Amino acid sequence: MEAYLVAIAIIGAIYVLLTLGLTLQYGLTGLVNFGHVGFFAIGAYASAIVSMQGVPLVASFAFAALLAALAAWPIGLVALRLRDDYFAVVTLGFGETVRLAITSEKWLTNGVQGIPGIPRTFAGLGVGLPGALATLAAITLVCVAAALALRRITRSPFGRVIEAIRDNEEALKALGKDPARFKIQVLALGAALAGIAGAFYAHYITYLSPDQFIPLVTFYVWMAMIMGGVGRVSGAVVGALLLMLFLEGTRFLRDIAPDAISGVAMASLRLGAVGLALILFTLFRPQGLVGDYTRR
Amino acid sequence: MFGALLVAGIVHGLIIGLAALAVTLVFGIARFPNAAAGDTMTAGAYAGLLAHQASGSLALAGGAAVAASGAVSLLGYLLVFRPLARRPVASLLVAAIGVAFVIRAVLGLIFGHQQQVFQVPLAWPIEFMGLRIPPMDITLATVAACALAAAFGVLHLTSIGRQMRAVADDPDLARVSGIRPLRVMIALWLLAGAAAGIAGLMLGVKTVVSPEMGWEGLLTAFAAAILGGIGSPAGAVLAGLLLGIAQEVSTPYVGFTYKIALAFVVMLAVLLVRPRGLFGRMEGVR
Repeated sequence: MEAYLVAIAIIGAIYVLLTLGLTLQYGLTGLVNFGHVGFFAIGAYASAIVSMQGVPLVASFAFAALLAALAAWPIGLVALRLRDDYFAVVTLGFGETVRLAITSEKWLTNGVQGIPGIPRTFAGLGVGLPGALATLAAITLVCVAAALALRRITRSPFGRVIEAIRDNEEALKALGKDPARFKIQVLALGAALAGIAGAFYAHYITYLSPDQFIPLVTFYVWMAMIMGGVGRVSGAVVGALLLMLFLEGTRFLRDIAPDAISGVAMASLRLGAVGLALILFTLFRPQGLVGDYTRR
Repeated sequence: MFGALLVAGIVHGLIIGLAALAVTLVFGIARFPNAAAGDTMTAGAYAGLLAHQASGSLALAGGAAVAASGAVSLLGYLLVFRPLARRPVASLLVAAIGVAFVIRAVLGLIFGHQQQVFQVPLAWPIEFMGLRIPPMDITLATVAACALAAAFGVLHLTSIGRQMRAVADDPDLARVSGIRPLRVMIALWLLAGAAAGIAGLMLGVKTVVSPEMGWEGLLTAFAAAILGGIGSPAGAVLAGLLLGIAQEVSTPYVGFTYKIALAFVVMLAVLLVRPRGLFGRMEGVR
């Protein structure tokens, strides 16, 4: 039981990190990133591949963050020239292209067979509970640091500029600020968070394959952000926890009645529930559960 | 080899063109990229499959596909997109993803996830100038041509089509001129749904029917719509053909999986170099 709770806590914390990244990009800056899973995948594969070459995990995590941020760079260059709707399509395409590249470039990623045997975090403590607890502690620390950093950002001049980009980009330009630079920085920062989340994921699950990085993952994160409340750091945390409740709840449902619901039917039900949540929240509660009530 | 790929590319391109037509109509008039277009296609493919299994007639299958996709498309508008009309575009984008997931989930629950195929009779390929063309390809190309002719007929020869184009050009001016937005929008979503339905049916006949088929084709449809110029139906079809041929002809060199990536690269290049596409209006995408 403890092992199970620790396991969902770790996965939950990974989603908190992803949601914080998206909150920075969409919630604060208004960048409609539909390719979050791409940065997550880049981080996961980067850290896994590098660490299996004998690089220490600390360095491989840093590499994951760096590579994800670098991948955001060209997307950012495109982004600052595009309207919201086009940017969404481009990032959606980016996420899919990353997955296709992972599937195709077998020499690097082993294609659909995937990479097994990725070293665990805190392997010195063994595969049991102590190692998992240490991992949980580490990722919680990273989450807290990221949340505090985001909160700090919202109260800084940088935060005021990016929120102004979201609210009225033209006015910001008229004031002599250059939104382009800020957009790239925000994208890279959010991508780095997703990259670190990916690294934690890779070294916790210890097995990677392309079908773990389907677009649905991006929209899990969107669902978490929208449920929690767009543009709020606390909302990101609440949303990610609600998401875990949902994901694990649907798993329980299947464990209770394995005959009634087959595996594929459950996958469809989950997909439908995510879709319905996205629709209903946008329609009736765009500010989320703990979001800012003064704004829609 | 090249000739065969070219023929395959044309049929594939017509499918993309029809899907891109659905995307570009909605993008040009309702002003957002509808991510549910792909799954609307899937709905059409399954409806066509059922009708084909029941009757064995491809024409009836086409009718069923058009009816089902049109209904799904209209339902999406009335239930979701219409209440969101005055919201920021990001809301519409997220809601469209939601609609796409719900359609795919429902189809997955009803029909399961195993791939299904249209039982079409095998026939000898027709030899034409040294090219071997499967008769089914000719049938499909004819179907697509008829569907396109019908769509362009509606757009250019009927009153509602003229009203749609007027709304696409300038919604406020159209309103002031006494065009009723609701009627135009209903016609738009029906037309876009019908085009997606035919595209889904053709894709299903050509490959396999599965709940994921439409979503997988979505990116290519977006790319074609952007390449053709948003809001330009003729551009969408032409761009679809270009992309279809490019994807088929390049497959021996870049491999099967990078087909979709090719569409992505084309889309990026167009957005950076010529954002209005081949025939798009001068409008800001930036």
